[in-house]
Amino acid sequence: MLAQETLSAKPQFAWARFLRTYGTLIGFLLIVLFFASQRPQTFMSVRNLLNITQQVSILGIVAFVMTVVMVIGDFDLSVGTMASLSGIVIGTLLQLEQPLSVVIGAALVVGMIGGLLNGVLVAYIGITPFVATLATLTIFGGLAFSISGGRTIFGQVFPDVLTDFANGGVVLATVNDQVIRLPHLTIIALVVLVIVWFVLEHTVFGRRLYTIGGSMEAARLAGVRVRLLRLLAFVITGFGAALAGVMLSGQLATANPTLGDGLMLNAIAAVFLGMTMSQEGEPHVLGTLVGVLLIGVLANGFTQLGVDTYVQRILTGAIIIASVTLSSISRRNH
Amino acid sequence: MTPSVLLRIRRASKSYSGIPALIDADLDLLAGEVHALMGENGAGKSTLIKILAGVTSPDSAQIEIKGQSVTLSNPQSAFAHGLRFIHQELHVVRQLSAAENIFLGQSYPTRFGFQVRWKQLYQQAEQVLSQLGIDHIDPRRTMGHLSPGDQMLINIAHAFVGDDLSRDSAGALVYVMDEPTAALTGAETAQLFRVIDALRRRGCAVLYVSHRMDEIFTIADRVTVMRDGRIIDTCLIREITPQALIIRMTGRELEHIYPPRLVLPFEDVLLDVCGAQTRVVKGATFQVHAGEIVGVAGLNGSGRTELLRAVMGLDRLTAGEVWLAGKRLTRLTPPRAWREGFAFVPEERRSQGLVLSRSVADNLTLPQLGHVSIGGWLLAHRREHRTSLDTGAMVRLKAHGPAQTVRELSGGNQQKVVFGRALVRPPRLLLLDEPTRGVDVGAKVDLYHLIREISARGAGILLVSSDLPELIGMTDRILIVRGGQVMETVLSNGLTSERLLALCYGNMEHVGSRNAIR
Repeated sequence: MLAQETLSAKPQFAWARFLRTYGTLIGFLLIVLFFASQRPQTFMSVRNLLNITQQVSILGIVAFVMTVVMVIGDFDLSVGTMASLSGIVIGTLLQLEQPLSVVIGAALVVGMIGGLLNGVLVAYIGITPFVATLATLTIFGGLAFSISGGRTIFGQVFPDVLTDFANGGVVLATVNDQVIRLPHLTIIALVVLVIVWFVLEHTVFGRRLYTIGGSMEAARLAGVRVRLLRLLAFVITGFGAALAGVMLSGQLATANPTLGDGLMLNAIAAVFLGMTMSQEGEPHVLGTLVGVLLIGVLANGFTQLGVDTYVQRILTGAIIIASVTLSSISRRNH
Repeated sequence: MTPSVLLRIRRASKSYSGIPALIDADLDLLAGEVHALMGENGAGKSTLIKILAGVTSPDSAQIEIKGQSVTLSNPQSAFAHGLRFIHQELHVVRQLSAAENIFLGQSYPTRFGFQVRWKQLYQQAEQVLSQLGIDHIDPRRTMGHLSPGDQMLINIAHAFVGDDLSRDSAGALVYVMDEPTAALTGAETAQLFRVIDALRRRGCAVLYVSHRMDEIFTIADRVTVMRDGRIIDTCLIREITPQALIIRMTGRELEHIYPPRLVLPFEDVLLDVCGAQTRVVKGATFQVHAGEIVGVAGLNGSGRTELLRAVMGLDRLTAGEVWLAGKRLTRLTPPRAWREGFAFVPEERRSQGLVLSRSVADNLTLPQLGHVSIGGWLLAHRREHRTSLDTGAMVRLKAHGPAQTVRELSGGNQQKVVFGRALVRPPRLLLLDEPTRGVDVGAKVDLYHLIREISARGAGILLVSSDLPELIGMTDRILIVRGGQVMETVLSNGLTSERLLALCYGNMEHVGSRNAIR
């Protein structure tokens, strides 16, 4: 039978292509301009901008590692409760007066084991990521509650070294007796960003992940170890979620069984925002970065404008819908 | 009295992207006849049926039903004009009950217009089934729990909804059946034939597509043969022999598009498969020499693709051994196979061969990324670019450049990318599954030359194809596969398409003397 071959290389209007690639970025810049014009003194100050980077650093890490699983077409709903669990592991071990390095190491190992569980369920047992990670979401949350007994751990058990580091930064300059610091959390998020970017864009591993995302069957027939790579992607995501939990509890000097739960939805939203910026609609970690900053800027700006936090949520959701809608409309005649 | 013409097709033509699939086809279906439609894959049978079903709109065609000119613009109008279709593939919803599948797309009996009256639905389903003489299927059962044969029977029953076979009711006039017996057992087939016979007596026409010679000669009154998009001949079944039918189906002379061998096969055995056993393949034993091209011939579903999959490590071997140049390959997996120098061009280039969303370069280097990269883990973008340019030139790829997305290439060029991938590192064993399907003649010739060159460099090649002249023209030997087994091996030299097709059909005793073909 003759297959009908369609040539889709139709010449497109330049603006459609432009809008598709840069629409979200332009929207982001417009939002920044809007807040800058409304609150020129406070919003655009270096201190506030650095403050925003600190505010989004933890979400950023979760979103960056979420990008890794979403590149292969999977996703991980359990990152939020994993971050909570990781915080509880920190708090509990600190109560047992373990050395800080052991405590942090244990939390990260827990994250990788959680990721391994997700990976085995998805890649080897063949459960869809939605169901598998929904189940582990519940399990990790339940573990966090049962280990902590449902109580919040706070106060003296968190050593000053940890909380000072998590709230401190590298001094950049001193202006009018005001010290301007590049927050440590921002630096960690940047390091994670660079590593994820390098792995996805410049290693064989990353290329194979993109191939699996494009066509799992074609990748398998071309000799890619699909199952192993999917497993590893989930381990990376679990590790990142646990790292976010460590930073969160360190920053707040608190461990609470629901502390990180809110990270998951925003992280997935950030990746989706980033996906609107690529030609083929694939996730890219730099796109994710724009998505994270967009979410962070909205939160910061709305707060400065005195917008009620509940209304903030509605507006943030609406802006995400607008961005993704615009992108899929301009993609439709592709 | 001559029987009336129920359906008349005149000058039906259709081409896809300029490639003709159906050319000036004329066909008459008479009341009370079973009309067989035969031809090789790609002969135009499917296109003709799709036009009748209202799925494909012809470039030109005159269609008359009972003397009235009609337009079949969509499946609903085909149904309204009394055409019923039984497709080869199962179109069923596994989660629903058998009864719901029988009435799929029809309105269910309801109370107040929305509450489904299940009891009545099941009763109606039972009626439809009993008309067909099927009494062993409970219409309440979930489709997915039925055997493939029973699922096919439900699929068939779907075409009889609303027709009371016991009466001479109007409604359905023409039944089109596209290989309905592929999944049926002998008894089920016999049952279907009784139904077809009843339809014939009722004055309906049945257009019956099948590759099975014995069925055609059992059930059909007339037969129409198609080849290369044209109707070759229509004749009474009692006036033709199976042998003559096969000649008309394959017809064409061996076209001179197959380049000659560049070297003779080497002496040494490259691939040695001993008693390989997978879920489909049953004890396959064969060898491929270096520099040799071995064809694999068989009908659809014969296990020819699965034979390649077994060699490639895609389906797990439950027994048997694969040896490459005197070394036994245990625990064979696709990554291992590629590392050992196997290269695989799969059957479905869009779903299995290519990652359409990625660039030409990404697709070309995919299986050999370990070699093209630095230290096996760091991407070397510039080296990839060079490799893709070189490989692209080797396969005469027409693309804007290595960065172009594969989705944007034409079918022939996409296939060249799949081919090129096998050449990034010179392969030791090349496994080709329908490598020229859906590729235009120009690209085909390029690919044939390429196959010859790879072979001349000492690679062994296994070629699966349903294009019989291609198999004969390109290979040294041909393995005949039937029911997952390698039944025999024949030399390609001097082989004719008719003889090869006869070998694929195998059991010719039903329809005539096997010796007569030899």
